[in-house]
Amino acid sequence: MASANSLRSLMRPSIPVAPRLYPIISSSFSTTTALSAVTGRAPKSSVVTSTKMKKNFKKGGGSTSAPMKKPNPGERKAFRKRIQLSNNSALAVEGVEVLKADTLAQSSSAGKMFSIPDEIIDQLRTLEAFKATQAWNLFRKPHFLARKEAVELGSRLENAAKKKEAEKIVLTGSKLSGKSLAVLQAISYALLNKWVVINIPEAQDLTNGNTDYAQIPNTEPAVYSQPVYVLRLLQTIYKANKAVLESLKVEKDWSLTGLQKGNSLAELILTCKESEFAWTTFNALWTELTLPGRPPVLFSLDGLSHISKLSQYRDPAFNLIHSHDLALVRTFVDALSGKTKLPNGGAVIASTSGNNMQFHPSQELVLAQLEAGQSGKPIPTPDPYEKNYDERVYESLKNTSVLRIEGINHDDTKTLMGYWAASGLLRNVVNNHTIREKWALAGNGNVGEMERVALLTMRM
Amino acid sequence: MQQVFILGVNFSEQKLVSKALQSFYALGPRACERIMAKYTIYRLAKVGSLAPKTVTSLTAELSQMTLDSDARKIMQDNIRRLKDIGSLRGRRHAMGMPVRGQRTRTQTATAKKLNRLDRRN
Repeated sequence: MASANSLRSLMRPSIPVAPRLYPIISSSFSTTTALSAVTGRAPKSSVVTSTKMKKNFKKGGGSTSAPMKKPNPGERKAFRKRIQLSNNSALAVEGVEVLKADTLAQSSSAGKMFSIPDEIIDQLRTLEAFKATQAWNLFRKPHFLARKEAVELGSRLENAAKKKEAEKIVLTGSKLSGKSLAVLQAISYALLNKWVVINIPEAQDLTNGNTDYAQIPNTEPAVYSQPVYVLRLLQTIYKANKAVLESLKVEKDWSLTGLQKGNSLAELILTCKESEFAWTTFNALWTELTLPGRPPVLFSLDGLSHISKLSQYRDPAFNLIHSHDLALVRTFVDALSGKTKLPNGGAVIASTSGNNMQFHPSQELVLAQLEAGQSGKPIPTPDPYEKNYDERVYESLKNTSVLRIEGINHDDTKTLMGYWAASGLLRNVVNNHTIREKWALAGNGNVGEMERVALLTMRM
Repeated sequence: MQQVFILGVNFSEQKLVSKALQSFYALGPRACERIMAKYTIYRLAKVGSLAPKTVTSLTAELSQMTLDSDARKIMQDNIRRLKDIGSLRGRRHAMGMPVRGQRTRTQTATAKKLNRLDRRN
């Protein structure tokens, strides 16, 4: 029966525990053969205490614990980061429209559920647009709610492509409000409209000092490239945008990379096999993409505050390197500030992170000022006693526009909960009372909190 | 498994550069951080990922420093000097007892292990 199985979908993945920790239940109604071996002698407690309790514990070499296989290198991380996009126990939802190229740009699609078409799911997965913290693993197929802000975002992207201008947007809002999902929606729009998409899924990977770095020769002041990260990014760009890149021919002379005239941009990426040449190749690709006559480009980054502070890297004189001195970050920041023009149109989207936030006074100030300016409120002034303001961060963000994403309204909540109920995941009847209850419990309709109070309430 | 030579010592390719550097006596975390910053080596770098040029310059850098047996010699000389001038500190070192006025009724294991004329570590 589907309903019994669907409960399993709500189970949190558990790390395998040593078998002795499981309680031995020998109920009369249990028919499990494995447990029948111990029937007849009811255990006193959940943990079997066959020997006396040990008084003192030596460090290391515990003989009491059951032998467990040590996970292979990278296995635990892969488990932590895995993205599961379908759940066979959930019911398939009928009658949901499939997302099309212009869907998100139409105001009529606001407040409706859409399913992500199969052809872009792999691309989104490659670009790491799905996050492990999002609840994709509960549903049969990935769908999203096109909320008001998503439609606004979509129409702005459409305008940017029409006017051949760069749309520079900073997404902000409280925790779990759906900023990363808005980035995913922007990427879906871009992929469906045959844009070139470059996505940096976690900005902190660039600045926390965990990937290698090297000074780019002949740069004064020094700029640092991150060869291994950029090589991986290039491969991601290739995989996600293969069809578009193969149709674009190289225009400038990149004979240094062994590329011939008339080769495609996809081949330009493929010439880079070693991390040593990754930055040169990325630079070449970026230069080619910003030539006139190319498709629009979407450059997105999640976790803005991580690129606003000093990075964890050190220069040869042992000073911390400013994040804007990292070449890839600088490319993004230049595009975000409008220093690099995108002559074919496109968008640069930076999203702040709610949970993994680093407070940066300049960033807070400029975003507050921009937001106040957009809504016609008095513009906040800098705090005269604050000494950690950073001019570079201020300059990088002052030309952007802020799109705030907060809770959804009652109508959107109704649509969303209808979808949850149709998937067989919401046990309540979807009526006005339930909707308002969950909406209020979730702090005025914060979507992530609503998932917590409505879907993730069961612990097994 | 491939091996990498730094200052005449063989390190496995899998070893962290910071661990490899700190395996030398008198080279601690601070000095290690500075050396790694000087050659733009990130903190999780493995020895195997270093370019041959970097390995050579690391070796050159380390050979300029007072490390290992030289550093030990200096320390042992300092202790011997204390002994030779007949100071209390020198005598306590020779006896393998705490040097700086600590109690000796209990908790002298570390002193017994370390305080000696030919101290090794």
